[in-house]
Amino acid sequence: MAHEIIAATNAVVVLDVALPGIVWGWIITMNMWAKSIGTGVIFIAFYLLKKYPEQTGFIRLPSVVISIVFIHLFLFFTVIDLHQMFRFWHIFFHPQMTSMITIGAWLATGFVGIILSMAYFLYMKKDEAMYDKLLGYGVILAVPVTLYTAGLMAQSTARELWQMPTESIQMMLAAFLAGSAAMILVGGNKFSDEIKKDLALILGFSALTAFIMYMLELVFGPMKAEEVIAALEFVKGGEYTFMFWLGQIIAFLIPMALVCKSIMDKSYYLLKIAAVSALVGLWITKHVWLVIPQLLNMS
Amino acid sequence: MQLGFLVDLRLCMGCKGCEIACKVENEVPLSTWRLRVKYVDVGSFPETKRTFTPLRCNHCANAPCARICPVSALHYIENGIVNIDKERCIGCAGCMMACPYGAIYIDPVTQTADKCTYCAHRVASAMMPSCVVACPVEANIFGDLDDPMSNISKYIQEHQSNVQVRKPEKGTDPHHFYVGGGNVTLNPLASFRAEGHSLFNNLTHLPVGGHH
Repeated sequence: MAHEIIAATNAVVVLDVALPGIVWGWIITMNMWAKSIGTGVIFIAFYLLKKYPEQTGFIRLPSVVISIVFIHLFLFFTVIDLHQMFRFWHIFFHPQMTSMITIGAWLATGFVGIILSMAYFLYMKKDEAMYDKLLGYGVILAVPVTLYTAGLMAQSTARELWQMPTESIQMMLAAFLAGSAAMILVGGNKFSDEIKKDLALILGFSALTAFIMYMLELVFGPMKAEEVIAALEFVKGGEYTFMFWLGQIIAFLIPMALVCKSIMDKSYYLLKIAAVSALVGLWITKHVWLVIPQLLNMS
Repeated sequence: MQLGFLVDLRLCMGCKGCEIACKVENEVPLSTWRLRVKYVDVGSFPETKRTFTPLRCNHCANAPCARICPVSALHYIENGIVNIDKERCIGCAGCMMACPYGAIYIDPVTQTADKCTYCAHRVASAMMPSCVVACPVEANIFGDLDDPMSNISKYIQEHQSNVQVRKPEKGTDPHHFYVGGGNVTLNPLASFRAEGHSLFNNLTHLPVGGHH
């Protein structure tokens, strides 16, 4: 509708103040990317340990170490993005529970407690049974930790592009994609062909579903709100078009093709390339989707 | 008590007196604005017109900024004003992402969020907001929306068919009204905005916090 008004009225802003640039930039992208790996690897570890308990015992330690490293990276980027980072403790001592930032901080703290406990029982106590029990709780908590960012994006009322249903599915898919990719890379050649195929299928289907969702948002999103039309113009011939498609190709299309080829050829090497491609592309894809609605003029 | 604002755009002549009064009263740093007046030119020569729109925080009844703030730095006070506690703010910028009106900014001096507070400190001393005082044509009308005898309530009654809020579809229930507004003045997507030098200044984007 706005396009027609501009065409009809020739309305041009001739005097205004500078608009704020990108508020949530690459640091928040790093935050989302690292969190996808940190929770995703827990999902995948749980699946493998339940389905193939005899063959996958060796993944317990690398899985929890990867999760600890990447969840702490996620927390690190969360904190350094604050303009007053040394007031981070306010979230715990002056919390407002309507905010998904607060809820996310509490959930992430609980999740960190669980994965640190898992590491403690595995490494210090050599207690795999307790590790596996805690892993179950870790999976339960990993779901809201993965999803809370979607809630935060949904609470960003000004950014019409981010809707809770689509963003929550994209967050879960990103976790499965990143988790399976990380597991493929750490597993080496220790996995059996059957497990490799399972990981390949998780990676491939996550990539396929995420790609379909992005394409559907690209086509059908503009039918809902003029702000979505305006935001998507940045990837439909606008300044983020190249980066958007680069992300889609590297994150989803290349991994899908390589997964198919690796299953046909039983090539674990191709699967590793697919995993690296998915992880790199996921960052690009997330970044573009984060940035484009922030380029709109709100007033 | 529910304080609210109304701007009669038919009276506003774009003098920017309100902008400057706000800057001075609230010591708003360079490059940032609690209140600004946007000029939009409409039409093709010789049938052209310049519109002026003062833009400030809407002090919504259902404020997304107050909801998303993790530490209640943005909060309601008893007269309906959405106020900000800069000592509590952690600078997460969630409020900037949530506000559909682009009314919140990061203060480059304090590195915390800031916005129009309807001059809450002046109101507490029974004074009008500085922008109201500075307006030479009384285009800014401020008062208690709950009081049917207040100037703002009477103005809304008199101009009922011509009163609008910005982006009503967002469901924020703003307490800031415009008389004589239209799509061009109230919908930011309904006017073309090219980056570069324009009338007196450079229309551009500012980096926020250097996190690009």
